[in-house]
Amino acid sequence: MGQKPRGPGRWPGLLLGAVAGGVVFGGALTVAQDALADDGRMQGRALVEERCSACHQKEADGSLHRIDHVRKTPEGWTMTLFRMRQFHGVALSDEEQRTLVRYFADRQGLAPEEAAPYRYVLERRPSVVEEPVTDGDLTVMCARCHSVARVGLQRRDEDEWRRLVNFHLGQWPTIEYSAQGRDRKWWEIASTEIPQTLGGKFPFRTDAWTSWQAAPKPDLSGRWAVAGHRAGIGSYGGTATVTKEATKDGDGYRIAYDLTDSAGKPLKGEGRSTVFTGYEWRGTGTLDGKPVREVFAASRDGSRLDGRWFLTQQDEVGGSLHAVRAGGADSTILGTSQSFLKAGSTARITLWGSGLDRGEVGFGPGVSAKILSRGPTSVTVEATAAADAVPGARSLTVGGAKSAGFAVYATLDSIRVEPDFTIARVGGNGGPVPPMTAQFEAVGYLNGPDSKPGTADDVRVGPMPASWSVEPFNDAAAQMEDVKFAGAMGSNGLFTPAGAGPNPQRQFGTNNIGDLKVVGTVIDGSATLTGTGRLISTVQRWNDPPIH
Amino acid sequence: MKHLTPINKKARLVDQAVENGHLDEVVAMQVVVGCASTMDPGWEVDPFGSVAALCAPMEADLYGCSDPCWWPAQVPDTINSYPDWNAKAASAQNDWRALQSVFPKD
Repeated sequence: MGQKPRGPGRWPGLLLGAVAGGVVFGGALTVAQDALADDGRMQGRALVEERCSACHQKEADGSLHRIDHVRKTPEGWTMTLFRMRQFHGVALSDEEQRTLVRYFADRQGLAPEEAAPYRYVLERRPSVVEEPVTDGDLTVMCARCHSVARVGLQRRDEDEWRRLVNFHLGQWPTIEYSAQGRDRKWWEIASTEIPQTLGGKFPFRTDAWTSWQAAPKPDLSGRWAVAGHRAGIGSYGGTATVTKEATKDGDGYRIAYDLTDSAGKPLKGEGRSTVFTGYEWRGTGTLDGKPVREVFAASRDGSRLDGRWFLTQQDEVGGSLHAVRAGGADSTILGTSQSFLKAGSTARITLWGSGLDRGEVGFGPGVSAKILSRGPTSVTVEATAAADAVPGARSLTVGGAKSAGFAVYATLDSIRVEPDFTIARVGGNGGPVPPMTAQFEAVGYLNGPDSKPGTADDVRVGPMPASWSVEPFNDAAAQMEDVKFAGAMGSNGLFTPAGAGPNPQRQFGTNNIGDLKVVGTVIDGSATLTGTGRLISTVQRWNDPPIH
Repeated sequence: MKHLTPINKKARLVDQAVENGHLDEVVAMQVVVGCASTMDPGWEVDPFGSVAALCAPMEADLYGCSDPCWWPAQVPDTINSYPDWNAKAASAQNDWRALQSVFPKD
């Protein structure tokens, strides 16, 4: 083992640090002189010259071979530096690595719009099924081991992509012999077509990056209105106060959350963050007493934060987060404590957002709203839907603010289990790799105009209380008794996998893996509706970097 | 298969199966059972999108993945990147608890 687990800290590999050393500037990039004056950057460049240039030779234009010709996310640079330490024995302290990640992510990062299509992997969102890359052969060549996002979050020119191919063959020489390697002219494809395709699709120099480098970077301090959703638990909302915190190599922030869950229970949290590349918020802290990480993106103008937070040791468990500036001139509805109202019923509903202390609160025809409490960032109403209120999607309004995502229903037409396909992983049982759970929700839907379930015009009503069970997905799962061995489905739709390791009680002593049909059952009046999903509970992975 | 003569019980069963019209099943039996360089089940799911045809328990042949870097994105390769990964676990089946994740969470 090369790397030992590190102690508690801020973002892994991204802590602040400082080093002394000579400063030599050079590189393929044009960097404004005023930016180079920044201490952190000077320290970063000095470290690059001191620790990297022994192997990465200087090219004719003064840039360092390979290093100065790649752009990546903070996580991508963290992985690169981890690899340099692990594979090539580069001497770097954790603090020095953090300085370098900051330096590289700021100098050679991705523009907001370049990272946008692949944020799900940075946010560690579970249950994302990626779209195949249609260009050339990328899905087979890259995404049979990696996520598509891992490729899409890097920028290189064709020659540099080719060097990455060369690295793969040198580091993992059997790559040519695995399936879809040995059965075709792998090297010819990998060394010609693929770099050309990647260099065209994800080039080093882009207008987006040039524009973002020149753009003013937002100051994110201030008071924010916040809302989000935790799968299996519900919505939450409130405020967050962000204060700037000077650190050794640049700006950081402190954040303090003042939130409530959908039932009105307080939800407190706090944290510290570093903002990379001018918009990539990476925080560490606690929420509801549990250690969490934050991966948010600030909008170009600094008026929004969007992303996900997750448990430090269990990144599949977390919630979405959306935030806008509190106290701005505009009114915005960010979220609601529940997304539906049944005709003929009354419910206490809280709307979260900004500028909500003014204007009429409307749920559309047939629904009355009596305001119970109100402030700039939330308004709580007692909403009553008439028995004859027309079922369907509604827009919520507060003054000039409008929000979709609310529905009135009389009876549900169908239930969908969301996600409809996901994986869990065995873990624990005395081993160091924790299990990966899977959270399901039973979401009610209306058929929509075509009166058919499962079509694009269905109206999403929202997550419903449900009872849960699992069944064998196929004959093999029944024969292997996957339901008995693979794990337990909780009453809240949370599947907890069984322990890792060979199980001598199973046929072949196999692992506690399984292929399961997940059944969510919802009682709606006199009707019982079920939805199904699929869960593959599989083996652990021993290589678990920030970007898979 | 008319030029081949069965020499053991299993081979005779294969012959009988073909004679009884079960050619498809026999073809499926021709591949090596288990994880080998001629077989490529996925790490998480098998070629059929399920788990029944995975090499499981995976500890039975885990070092057949790590030694030739067969699933380097999921399993540390001991050929180049993590040569000492399994130094404290001579038998994956017995010692798998000693195998660490190589990109530790802090």
